Amino acid sequence: MSDTTLLALFEDIDPAAEAIDKLHEMGVTDDRLNVISGVPFSHKMLGRPHPWTNVSRLALGGAAAGFVVGIFLNFGTPHLYNVSVGGQYITPIPPGLIIIFEMTMLFALLSTFLGVFLDSFFPNYRPMEYVPEISDGKIGLFFKIPEADQEKFTSALNQLGAESVQPTEARQL
Amino acid sequence: MAVTSGYLGAEKAHAEHEEEHDPRESLMYDPLPRGVMNEMVMDSMHTTSWKFWVVLGILAFLVATCFFYAWGYMIAKGLGVAGVMRPSYWGVFLVNTVFWIGISHAGTFISAILRVMKAEFRRPFTRAAELMTTFGLIQAGSSIFMHLGRVWLSYWMFPIPNERRLWPNFHSPLMWDLLAITTYVLGSTMYLFLPLIPDLAMARDRSTGWRKTFYRILSLGFRGTEGEWRHLTTAMNIFAFAIIPVMFSVHTIVSWDFAMASRPGWSSTVFGPYFVLGALHSGMGAVAVVLFLMRSTMKHMTYFIRKEHFDALGKLMMIVSFTYAYFFFNDYIVQWYGGDKWTDTLLHWLEEGPMAWMFYQMIAFNIVIPFLTLWNKRVRQTPWLLAIIGLLINVGMYWERYLIIPVTLTINRMPFTWKLYEPRIEIFLTIGTFSMFLLFYMIASRLIPLIPVWEVQEGQMVHSLRKVGKAQVPTVSEFE
Repeated sequence: MSDTTLLALFEDIDPAAEAIDKLHEMGVTDDRLNVISGVPFSHKMLGRPHPWTNVSRLALGGAAAGFVVGIFLNFGTPHLYNVSVGGQYITPIPPGLIIIFEMTMLFALLSTFLGVFLDSFFPNYRPMEYVPEISDGKIGLFFKIPEADQEKFTSALNQLGAESVQPTEARQL
Repeated sequence: MAVTSGYLGAEKAHAEHEEEHDPRESLMYDPLPRGVMNEMVMDSMHTTSWKFWVVLGILAFLVATCFFYAWGYMIAKGLGVAGVMRPSYWGVFLVNTVFWIGISHAGTFISAILRVMKAEFRRPFTRAAELMTTFGLIQAGSSIFMHLGRVWLSYWMFPIPNERRLWPNFHSPLMWDLLAITTYVLGSTMYLFLPLIPDLAMARDRSTGWRKTFYRILSLGFRGTEGEWRHLTTAMNIFAFAIIPVMFSVHTIVSWDFAMASRPGWSSTVFGPYFVLGALHSGMGAVAVVLFLMRSTMKHMTYFIRKEHFDALGKLMMIVSFTYAYFFFNDYIVQWYGGDKWTDTLLHWLEEGPMAWMFYQMIAFNIVIPFLTLWNKRVRQTPWLLAIIGLLINVGMYWERYLIIPVTLTINRMPFTWKLYEPRIEIFLTIGTFSMFLLFYMIASRLIPLIPVWEVQEGQMVHSLRKVGKAQVPTVSEFE
C-alpha cells in the first residue's frame, strides 16, 4: 500500500499540539511527522522529541581549532620569519593572548555559521513540501500515512480545529 | 486650598501618568496577525517615491565622485594629495576608521547584549542596528585602506609565506587591529544574516520575478522545520554571547593603537573602556537617527517603531552618556594632575588653542546636551528631538576622535615640528564614506526586511495582559 503525505494547517499552537498527540495515538510515529512554523516553538510546547543539533559542538570544535591556529601564528611562524625589533622577544606572551583570542573567536563564529548550513542542509533548492501560509504564522503538520487512511486522519484533525487537511507534494519554493 | 484637587496637583499628574502607561500602546501588547505584519513590511520595501530616487541618485553621484574618483586620484598621485604630513601622519582616514567602528558597536550592543538580557523593546529594531554594524565596518575598512596609501600592498599584512622574508609583526597593535576588525566584520555579517533567513523566506513567499529569485537564493531553502529553527536559534544564542567580547576587543584594540604609544595625550590605561563607551555613545545616537528616518520615510513604520522604543533608546543614551562622561573625566584628570610638561602643553592647547571650539563642542554635544535633555521623558519620546540629540552626539564623537588623532599628534616633544593638520582630499573621501553608508542603507531598505517580523511575532506571543483585580497588568512568559 502506498503512502501519502498530508499537510494539516493550524492557526494556533494549542490545537496543533493536540493534533500531534492525536496523530501519535493514531499510530503516526515522530519520524513520519514534521512540524513547520513561522516562529520557533520549543519541542516541549509541541510535545515532540528534542531536535538534535551539532551547532554547539561545531562551535566548540571551531574555537579549539582557532586556539591552535592562534598559537601557531603567534608562537610558531615568527621563528620561521624572524622579525627582530629593538631587542624584543620574538614570541612574547601578552600580545600572543590577543592573537589567540581573536583567532579562537573567529573560528568559533565561522564554525557556528557553517554548523547551521551543515545541520540544516543549506542551501537546498530542491522541491520541498511547503505552503506559503507558514510564513503568515500558520503551523503546519506534515505526516506520512497509508493512502487508504486519508479520510480517517482528515476528519480527526478537522475535529481538532485544523484549517485544512490535504495531500501535499514537494514543490519549488 | 483646594484639597480635592490633590497635593500640588499630584492626583491629576498621577492620572495623566496612568493614562500614559496604557500597555496597549506598546508594540508587544498591540499584536496584528502575522500575515498583516508581513504585508506591511513588504509594502514598506516596495513603496518608493520620486524623492527616494532623487536622494539615491545624489548619494550614488557622491559615492562615484567623492569615494571612487577621489580615492583613485589619490592612488594615482600618491598620499601627497592628502593633508597628512609631519607631525600628523595619522589624519582623517583614521578618524573615520575609529568613528565608523564606533558606529558599528550599536548593532552588536542592541542585538546581542539586549538579546542576552532579554530586553523586549529591542525586537523591532535589531536588524536596523545590525545593518549599521555591517555598513559601518565597510566604511571603517575602506578608511584603513585609504590610509595605507599603497593599497595594493595591503597583502603584506597577511601571513603569506614568501621569499622576501616579509612577515606580519604580531606584536604590533596595527596587526591586532587587522585580526580584530576582520573577526568583527565576519562575525557581525554572519550575525546579521542568520536571523534574516526566516524573513527572507517570508519575502520569497510574497515575491515574483527577480525578487523571487533573489530571495529564493538568499533564503537557502528555509521552510521553518523544527530542526531548522533549532539550529538557527542555537547559532543565534552562540553568536549573541560570542560577539560581545569580540565587540569589546575591537574598540579596545583600536584604542591601543594610540595608548600603546608613549606620547602625550595617548598613553593612558583607561583608553580601552573609554573608547568602548565612546563607541556605544555614537552608536546609540546613530540608531536614534536611523530609527527616526525609518519611521518618517518608510510606510507602516509607525506601527513597528513607536515612542516606547525612542524612550528606551533615550534612556540607554543617557546611561551611556553618564558613563562616557565618567571615563572622559577619568582620562582627563589623571593627565591633568600628572604634571608632565608636554601633556600640560597639550591640554592647554586643546582648551585655549585654535581647536578649542572643537573641544568645547565635544563636551557640549557628548555630555552637556544629553544630561540636560534625556532625563525628560517627553524629550525621549519625541522622535525628531531624539534624532537631533543623536546627531549632535555623533558630531561630538567625531570631534573627539579628531582631537585625539591629528590634533593630539600636533603637540609632541619636538616643538619645531608642531604644525596643525589640515585635511585636503580627506574631506571628499569623508563625504564619500558617509554617502556610501547612506546609499547602502537606502538600497538595503528596499531589498531586505528591516523589521524582523518573526521576532516581533514571537515577542507578541509571549506578552499578554493579565487581569489582576481591576487592572490589566502586562505579563511576559518565558518562551525558550
